[in-house]
Amino acid sequence: MGRYILRRMGFYLIAAWASLTLNFVIPRLAPGDPAAAMFARFEGKVAPEAMGALKAAFGFTDAPLYAQYFTYLKHLVQGDLGMSYAYFPARVTEVIGTGLMWTVALAGVAVIISFVLGSFLGVLAAWNRGGWLDSGLAPALAFLGAFPYFWLAMLALYLFGFVLGWFPLRHAYGHDMEPGLSFAFAADVARHAVLPASSIVVATLGGWMLGMRNTMVATLGTDSIRLAHARGLPPRQVMLRYAARNALLPNVTSFGMAVGFVLSGSLLTEIVFSYPGTGYLLILAVRNQDYPLMQGLFLVITLAVLAANFAVDLICLWLDPRTRAHA
Amino acid sequence: MRFARALLPLALLVACSSEPRPRPPGVLFVSVEQQSAWVRNFNPLFAGAGARWPTRAGVYECMEIFSSAQGKWVPWLATGHAWSEDQLTLRFNVRDGVLWSDGKPFTADDVVYTFGLLKQHPALDAGGVWRFLTDVKTEGKGTVAFTFSRVYLPGFSDLAHQIIVPQHVWKDVADPVTFTNPEPVATGPFTQVTLFRNQVYELGRNPHYWQPGKPAVSALRFLAFPTNDQANMALVEGEVDWAGNFVPAVDRTFVSRDPAHHARWFPLYGSTVFLYPNTTRPPLDDVRVRKALSMALDRDRLVEVAMYGYTRPADATALNDAYTGWKDAEVAKDTWTHYDLAAANKLLDEAGLTRGTDGMRRLKDGQPFALDLEVVSGWSDWVRAGQVVGRDLRKLGIGVTLKTYEFGTWFTRLQKGEFQLAISWSLDGPTPYNFYKWLLSPRTVRPVGEVAAANWHRMGDAQADELLVRFERAGTPEEQHALMSQVQQRFSATAPAIPLFPNPSWGESNSSRFTGFPTEQNPYARLAPHAEPDSLLVLTQLSPRER
Repeated sequence: MGRYILRRMGFYLIAAWASLTLNFVIPRLAPGDPAAAMFARFEGKVAPEAMGALKAAFGFTDAPLYAQYFTYLKHLVQGDLGMSYAYFPARVTEVIGTGLMWTVALAGVAVIISFVLGSFLGVLAAWNRGGWLDSGLAPALAFLGAFPYFWLAMLALYLFGFVLGWFPLRHAYGHDMEPGLSFAFAADVARHAVLPASSIVVATLGGWMLGMRNTMVATLGTDSIRLAHARGLPPRQVMLRYAARNALLPNVTSFGMAVGFVLSGSLLTEIVFSYPGTGYLLILAVRNQDYPLMQGLFLVITLAVLAANFAVDLICLWLDPRTRAHA
Repeated sequence: MRFARALLPLALLVACSSEPRPRPPGVLFVSVEQQSAWVRNFNPLFAGAGARWPTRAGVYECMEIFSSAQGKWVPWLATGHAWSEDQLTLRFNVRDGVLWSDGKPFTADDVVYTFGLLKQHPALDAGGVWRFLTDVKTEGKGTVAFTFSRVYLPGFSDLAHQIIVPQHVWKDVADPVTFTNPEPVATGPFTQVTLFRNQVYELGRNPHYWQPGKPAVSALRFLAFPTNDQANMALVEGEVDWAGNFVPAVDRTFVSRDPAHHARWFPLYGSTVFLYPNTTRPPLDDVRVRKALSMALDRDRLVEVAMYGYTRPADATALNDAYTGWKDAEVAKDTWTHYDLAAANKLLDEAGLTRGTDGMRRLKDGQPFALDLEVVSGWSDWVRAGQVVGRDLRKLGIGVTLKTYEFGTWFTRLQKGEFQLAISWSLDGPTPYNFYKWLLSPRTVRPVGEVAAANWHRMGDAQADELLVRFERAGTPEEQHALMSQVQQRFSATAPAIPLFPNPSWGESNSSRFTGFPTEQNPYARLAPHAEPDSLLVLTQLSPRER
């Protein structure tokens, strides 16, 4: 088992290196000159003569690619992600730091709620096949999930924020709040998170539920479940410990991937609700051809996805005895 | 299910406390930059820095301020200036009794030190002042003398608008280009960073501000709105007191909600929006063709459709309203910017671009006359303008394909001259000198493939350039106006680029909590907060309403 884990770790290290390298190559294949794009942001407020000096200040180099690659790796190891072009002269780590916590908290919590709740509902739906959960809620959630997320979020914002005034229209906390470990602040953050988090949950719940329901239905038809029933075990124990545990595997695997979307895919949530996260930084970085910021964000996303997948591997190991037998 | 039942009361609990909170009196809420989160940066010298908006518009100050609304220079850190007899030395009288926000006196040495920094770090020299300066030194206690290498009167505005920083602080800064200046020491009305978080920050009053009793506003507060929609919603809801956003149908969506307090003023002081033809590509090198394109455009419809009627069609001088005093009335009457399809067709016939049997015009080599028109994707006003232009030009038998690019790609293509037609802005300054120099001077023409900061159409006119060089040395207003009239004639004769409309300078105010915003009736400055350093005039003029 220890060897299995070591092998997986080795695999993830190679995957990390490969994605770091892609991370370096891809932005450099994009068309356009970042210096020109940056200069463009001043819309004529800067004399053209300053352009050469600007290039020097930003450290745009004509060094050969391999040399740039080694500099990139060296700085990475030192935890130096360079300076952002779009937010010059702020460090990339500082820029990412402004939003990372909020994105992780909001989207992370929403994805976990959606996964847990959706899987649980899926188990119940399959157990009571043909019941209202199965024939009513599941199609309704699938229907909601089919709407474009942007539209769903705007609708929630308009209805519950603007018209009814139940929830704030924007931001992660009130601008007159003092952030800290106080109950008032926590309540304020929670109040601000309700709309964005529930819109993510509503949009993704159906997927988890249906996925879980379908594998669960298949599992319920197997001999082991029939045997468990025959042994006279309590139904709840059969449902959760025998059927659900086995049916959960595919959903757990998808969960590992969903974590990646937590960091990149909450872009729309952040735009609609003015949530101060990293998703919006990513699109700004792309627009401004801000390579260092892009690379920094991709790095964070890559590492998060790899870490999540590693965690999923470990969970599968625990859930599925077969993996253990082969290890 | 149990989980869902537990969640519901929690949601109701947090929802109950959602009535709007009262805002602290005297705190002005401003919406200028659209950002998802704030990054702490108050570097006023490096123009390439993503410094927070008030850095160059309320934290730091310059020596004199050009108010384009008033058409005159307002003395600020300098009480005045004088040119030497030979116009090779410019002397500023530095104001006495000004203190930095840390209580130390502001002196002529700070001015000399600041210009020294620009010389030492060319990246800071955004105006390129050391191209025409040879020396900056103090004379006595309150005078700074700038020595010029040649007579260059337009250089005045670059010097007067230069932000001045304190020597006693900046001498210890290792690299002024990459310095984020988190705790600014400055002379402006708002210097104290009293709050800085990712979605809100606040600037408090300078305790030593040199204008007695000012500012009357106790603090400026900035909320992060990542999109125009969010910023507009906050403005409409009354959550923002001063903004510079593009608001669609502003009179209906914003002003009419509270006509007594909600106001907008969109004077046509922004840069002029042009349709740039790449004159290195035949037949766009032919002035008749360019004028024909211009005459095919129904500009009245264009400003209605693309700009919600916020602006007017450009005339043959291409000048916006900030230059009204410079405009030559005769040139403005020239007809090549008037809608006249018959005349446009005639010009194209004369240029040898005859119509084929399919009604499309052909180049001399028989190829169809087809052009790509490039705009930035997502800039909805210009995209709509591009659609109108394309439809109008097709009436002439010219095939037009509208192409949208991401901003960076679009601008690179524009700067390198790798386009056929493009919509873009102009370069401006206190006089039309910069504006026409970048439209007409051969000194600004770069070869295709090389980045040009403007003159993207790549055309120069030697006669216009001679007039511009004479303007650099013209001492009297009469002489300056006479030369600028002739430049306008050259512009109208050569039509290097096709003016569409002057861009409005967006500004909205909500006077329910503050009074003193500039208006069309009281145009002491531009309302647009983007119009630095005009905003210094506004920030020192506003006062909280008594309740």
